[in-house]
Amino acid sequence: MTQMLEAVSIVKSFGAIRVLEDVTVTVRKGEIVGLLGPNGAGKTTLLNIMAGYETQNSGTVSIDGGCIDSLPPEARTKAGLARTFQSGRLFPELSVTENVVLGAIGAGASIKVANRRALDALEMLGLTAVMMQPATGLSHGLSRLVGLARALTANPEYLIMDEPAAGLNNHETPALLAALESIQRESGCGMLLIEHNVGLVADACSRVFVLASGELLFEGPPEDALADEAVLSAYLGDATMGLPGGIA
Amino acid sequence: MSNGLLPSRQLIGVTRFHWQQLLGPIVVVIAVSYLTSGVSASFSYLTEGALALLVMVLSLQVFIGNSGVLSFGQAAFAMVGGFASGLLTAPVKIKENVLDGLWEPLKAVNMGIWPSLVIAVLVGALFAFVTGLLLMRLSGLAAGIATFALLMVADNVFFNWKLIGPGPQVMPQVPKFAFVDESIVLTVIVIIVVYFFGISRRGRLLRATREDALAARALGASVWHLRVLFFTVSGGIAALSGAMYAHHAGAVTARDFYLGFTFTTLAMLIIGGASSLWGAVVGTILVTAIGQVLLVLEGGVTFGSVEVTLPNGARGLVIAAALVVILIWRPKGVTGGKEFNLPFLNRKSAAAHDSHVQRTDANMNIKP
Ligand SMILES: Nc1ncnc2c1ncn2[C@@H]1O[C@H](COP(=O)(O)OP(=O)(O)OP(=O)(O)O)[C@@H](O)[C@H]1O
Ligand SMILES: [Mg+2]
Repeated sequence: MTQMLEAVSIVKSFGAIRVLEDVTVTVRKGEIVGLLGPNGAGKTTLLNIMAGYETQNSGTVSIDGGCIDSLPPEARTKAGLARTFQSGRLFPELSVTENVVLGAIGAGASIKVANRRALDALEMLGLTAVMMQPATGLSHGLSRLVGLARALTANPEYLIMDEPAAGLNNHETPALLAALESIQRESGCGMLLIEHNVGLVADACSRVFVLASGELLFEGPPEDALADEAVLSAYLGDATMGLPGGIA
Repeated sequence: MSNGLLPSRQLIGVTRFHWQQLLGPIVVVIAVSYLTSGVSASFSYLTEGALALLVMVLSLQVFIGNSGVLSFGQAAFAMVGGFASGLLTAPVKIKENVLDGLWEPLKAVNMGIWPSLVIAVLVGALFAFVTGLLLMRLSGLAAGIATFALLMVADNVFFNWKLIGPGPQVMPQVPKFAFVDESIVLTVIVIIVVYFFGISRRGRLLRATREDALAARALGASVWHLRVLFFTVSGGIAALSGAMYAHHAGAVTARDFYLGFTFTTLAMLIIGGASSLWGAVVGTILVTAIGQVLLVLEGGVTFGSVEVTLPNGARGLVIAAALVVILIWRPKGVTGGKEFNLPFLNRKSAAAHDSHVQRTDANMNIKP
C-alpha cells in the first residue's frame, strides 16, 4: 500500500453553516502538495480536522491506511503528523530557540538531541539571526516560520502547514520553498502546504488541491490549476492569484 | 536567507542542568535552618515546623508552578501523609486506649519514623494519582473549585471517620524527630526532586501547556497525562510535608491541614513566585520571618519609650495584605518567578562573550 496521509470525504458544518462539502485530500510520503483557496474556503478547517482539533461530521482521516479519527491531537503528532498554526502560536515566554527545542522534546528526543535538531531547523529556515530573541516580539511572518521550525524538529512523517508563506516577501518565499524541498528530499516527509496564492507555490508542489466555499474545485498539477475555468472564476477579482511572488 | 553569526554550537539551546539553580536554594535552606535553629530551642522547633511548611510549598510549586493549574486541594494529601505516618508510628498502647474505633490492623502496627515516611509518601502519591485521573480533566476555575471540593471531602472524612484515625480528636504521642537535621535532609531531598522534575523533558512540556495548551498538544504533549504525573508527585511530597509536621508537633489532627494551612502555603508560594523552585524557598522564608516578627509584636514590644502592641490576628491580616499587593503589583512574586542565579558565579566557559547564550541558558528553567 502506498504510504499516505488521507482525508476522505470530509463533511463539516458549524451549526447550520456547511464549511466543507465532501472534500478528499491526499498527501503521499515524500510529496509536497498545495492546498489552495481564497479566504474562508475552509482550508484551516480541513487542517484542523486532519490534526484532530476539530471533529468532522463525516468522512475519515488516516495515516498509511490506519484510521486516526479517534486520536486526540497529541496522539496524531506522536503518530507522525505534525502541524503548524496560521497564527504561529509560539510560547510567548520562551525564546525562539526554546520554542523550537520543544518540538523535538515533545517527540521524545533527549534535550541534547533536541538542541541539535533545533539548531539544524533554525539554520535551514534562516532563523539563526533571531534565535535568541523572545518569541513575543516577532513579526507574524517570522512567528509562522519559527512555528514551522518547531514542527520540523519532531521529524514528522507528514507535515501540514497553514500559510507558512503569508507575510513573507518576494525573496523570503522562494527561500522557504527551497528549504521545504530540501527537507522533503532529505527526510522523505510528506507535506501539505496551505496557501492563498496559487502562483506562489506552483513550483514547489507536485500536485495542488483548490478549495472554494468548502468544495473541492480542482485536483492536479499546479500549472493546470492556473488554466482551470472553475479555479479562475473562484478567484475572480483576486488579482494576486496568478502572479508568482505577489503579495497574498 | 539571512544568517547571523553563530556562537559555538554546544552553547546554543537549552541547558540540561544549571548547578546554581539547584545548589543555591539548598545552600540557603541549610544555612538559614542552622542559623535560626542555633538561636534557641524554641527557634529550633520553629525551624523544624517551617521546613515542613517549605516541603508543602515545594509540593504546590511542582504542580501549580509547572502546570499553571491552581489547586486548593493539596492539603488533603498532607492530611493523608500526616495521618498515615502518625498512625504507623504511635505506640500500640496509646492507639488501643485513645483511638477505640480504629481499624484493628492499624492499631496493631508500629514502625519507625523513616519507614513510615516512605509509606506516607506512597499513600499520598496513590491518592493524588487516583483523584488526579478525574480532577486533571479540568482546567482553570473548574479545576480550582474541584480541588477545593477535594479538600472539603478529605477534611470531612478524616474529621468524622474513626476507623482510619482519631476523628475530631487529636492523635497524641506521635514520635518526634530528635533533631532539626532530619527535617533539613528531607527538605533537601525534596528540593532535588522538585528541581529535576522541573527541568525534565516532561516538566518543560508541562510548562509549555501552561502557556498555550493547543500549541503544546501539537507538539505531542498530552496535557492530561502530564498533569496527572505532576499532581501525583506533588501529592507524594505533600504527604511527606504532613508526615514531617506530625513528627514535628508530636501529634496530628485533621484540622492541622485545613483552610489556614492551605492559605498560608499558597500565600508563601505566590509571594515568592510560583513558577520557580527558588520562589517557593524565598516565599516560605519571607512569610515565616514576617509572621514571627508580627507574633512578637502582637505580644507587645517596647522601643525606647514607645510600646507597640499589635492586635491579635494582625499576622494573618498582614500576610493576606502582602498577598494582595504581590498579586497586583508583582504577580510573578518577589523572585519574578526566576531561579536562583548569581551572575558572577556563572562558569567562565559561557565565556560567552556572547551574552545571548547566557540568556538562553538561564531562561529555560526560569520562565514562569
Ligand atoms: N469555529 C467556527 N465556528 C463557525 N464558523 C467557523 C468556525 N471556524 C471557521 N468557520 C467558518 O468556516 C469557513 C472556513 O473557515 P477557514 O478558517 O477554514 O477558512 P480558510 O480557508 O482557512 O480561510 P483563510 O484563508 O482566511 O485562512 C469560514 O466561513 C469561517 O467563517
Ligand atoms: Mg485559514
